[in-house]
Amino acid sequence: MAAQTIAEAAIYEGLEAQAFPFFGAERRGAPVMAFCRIDDKKISVRTQVYQPDMLVVMDESLLDIEPVADGLKPNGSAVVNTKLSPDKVDLGIRVKCVSVDATTVALEMLKAPIVNTAILGAMAKANDIVTLESIKKAIASRFGEHLGEEAGRINAAAAQAAYDRAVLGESAAQRPIVKKRAWTPTWQDIPPGVALGQADMNGLKVGPGSAFQVRTGTWRTRTPRYLREKCVRCAKCWFICPDAAISRESDDHIQIDYDHCKGCGVCASICPAKAIEMAKGAKL
Amino acid sequence: MTIKVLSGDHAVAYAVKLCRADVIPAYPITPQTLIIEKISDFVNDGEMDATFMPADSEHSAMSMAIGAEATGVRTFTATASQGLALMHEMLYVAPQTRLPIVMANVNRSLGAGSGIWAEYNDSMPERESGWMQAYVEDSQEALDTIIQAYRICEDPRVMLPMMVCLDAFVLSHTVEKVLVPEQAEVDSFLPRFRPLNVLDPADPKFINIAVSPAHSMEMRYQLDHQMRQAAPMINLIDEEFGKHFGRRYGGMIERYRMSDAEHALITLGSATSTARVAVDQLRAQGRKVGLIKLRYMRPFPHQEIQEAVKGVKALGVFDRSIALNGFGPVFTEVRNSVYRQGMPVTNHIAGIGGRDLTIPTFVQMFDKIEQSANALERECYWHGLRGEM
Ligand code: SF4
Ligand code: SF4
Repeated sequence: MAAQTIAEAAIYEGLEAQAFPFFGAERRGAPVMAFCRIDDKKISVRTQVYQPDMLVVMDESLLDIEPVADGLKPNGSAVVNTKLSPDKVDLGIRVKCVSVDATTVALEMLKAPIVNTAILGAMAKANDIVTLESIKKAIASRFGEHLGEEAGRINAAAAQAAYDRAVLGESAAQRPIVKKRAWTPTWQDIPPGVALGQADMNGLKVGPGSAFQVRTGTWRTRTPRYLREKCVRCAKCWFICPDAAISRESDDHIQIDYDHCKGCGVCASICPAKAIEMAKGAKL
Repeated sequence: MTIKVLSGDHAVAYAVKLCRADVIPAYPITPQTLIIEKISDFVNDGEMDATFMPADSEHSAMSMAIGAEATGVRTFTATASQGLALMHEMLYVAPQTRLPIVMANVNRSLGAGSGIWAEYNDSMPERESGWMQAYVEDSQEALDTIIQAYRICEDPRVMLPMMVCLDAFVLSHTVEKVLVPEQAEVDSFLPRFRPLNVLDPADPKFINIAVSPAHSMEMRYQLDHQMRQAAPMINLIDEEFGKHFGRRYGGMIERYRMSDAEHALITLGSATSTARVAVDQLRAQGRKVGLIKLRYMRPFPHQEIQEAVKGVKALGVFDRSIALNGFGPVFTEVRNSVYRQGMPVTNHIAGIGGRDLTIPTFVQMFDKIEQSANALERECYWHGLRGEM
């Protein structure tokens, strides 16, 4: 939605633009990518963007999970949703950086932690291609069309507030940018039968069928707490957990795998003994 | 005319609205869902005077479209991948009964090895079904081709259904600038639908009757003849569209930097855009390369391609699907068209399952095409494949 809106804003400026998401196994809250190209002539190229001029990070926790700045041009810029000042934002590369607490802006103005309109305001501070006015107009159009005029208006106001509060500076380059190790077998090495399990690559479980690298636990906003003494060992939570994040001990007490528990809460709601309670936040 | 920023899917929905489709039966499937969501919004908000019918499967959606069209109303539906496969049985009914239904198919690879990304192995097998097939390059062409499709399909000289194919995500979910024509402009281009046969209690008729060997051959030939008739109509209607709306697409094919090209590549769908950039880069280096964009798989532009490749020393054909232990379907058709012309023709498989098609991928294709002019090393290349071919 944010990428589409910035594209629309660029088109208001008389430029050409294109925006598209990369779809994986997405759900609300899961890390996703979206791309936008802006040019002064018709855009023909339709590949993904590998070397962006601008990077926008909507959730600062991604900085610790993904090498987000991988490919970012050294003369590029970044916009990061964070409470930190730009020089404390460690992207692994020193670039022009705008930091903004878009989450607080969104909570104040939209009463929900949905940051994509606020972050757009901060983007206007990081570049002189698309103006804040065009961005606000595009927000009013795009969000207005989906959610009604009032929603368009308050989202545009959120962009303005984020623009006003955004801080311009330079990012830190402390951490190394470590590319994720991907499983890239040749056609000869693909196990036959579309039955891809976990392939072992230098001691690392990888591959499309492997959940090892996909730490769905990072999506969590609530966390199940196991109250062992209350548990009647019925195994209902083990059966229902959609992510197989609950395992049974030999005596049928349970353990929760927090690397993969998404915090959906169905274990807590099915438990007949109230032996699982959902705590707020990503950690206990 | 209004400038809007639309995804390929939404461009299709706007076109359907502008074409005043009367009945839209549909079943959602990623990445087509945005089309029918938008249309159901239009209907719900009273912006579109139509009946939206949620179906319980794609097989039902196509059956409902056939039934509705047979009562003489303009019909639209949309699907993708496994959804199109589930329609397969009913698809065959529409052409032979001469029901000019228009459908959007968002090309998505057909499982197993299930994915939601672009590949043509869903629609290519249906080129035998009697449906015309258009493949579009961008959101604007998606919108314009739907408008053209109703004109072509409902022309008394054609009267066949058409599926308008657009690539999953690369088009369906990519927003870009689209010129949306005014209702009056479309109304003056697209007259009200005049059906061939109408289910009418006052004038009872059977449609889709059982046919014995004594008649089925002639019926099939009639359909084949009809499909051949459609190609010149597509060229004509595209020209007329150009006069009306100020933009056109070349009819069956578009030639890009072909006038003095010695090495040419044939592409279809969104791949054409990136291939254009590759052609521009190679031209800047002085290489005589050109591009032919195929807009239709059915009817197939045999004559147009034969014309376009005169003077070409080597020809390559891009395919985003493969008939196993054979070639890509576009290649097979193209080589059939040009075999008397004698130049080497090579097949270039790429972008399978939605693998990103980059500029270097197309440059590599041109390298192989140039090489084939001197020595035909092999007939079929896979580009971007890990492991030796
Ligand atoms: S919260 Fe959901 S994902 Fe986590 S353990 Fe319970 S059921 Fe499984
Ligand atoms: S559902 Fe509750 S009582 Fe049953 S095993 Fe799980 S935690 Fe224990």
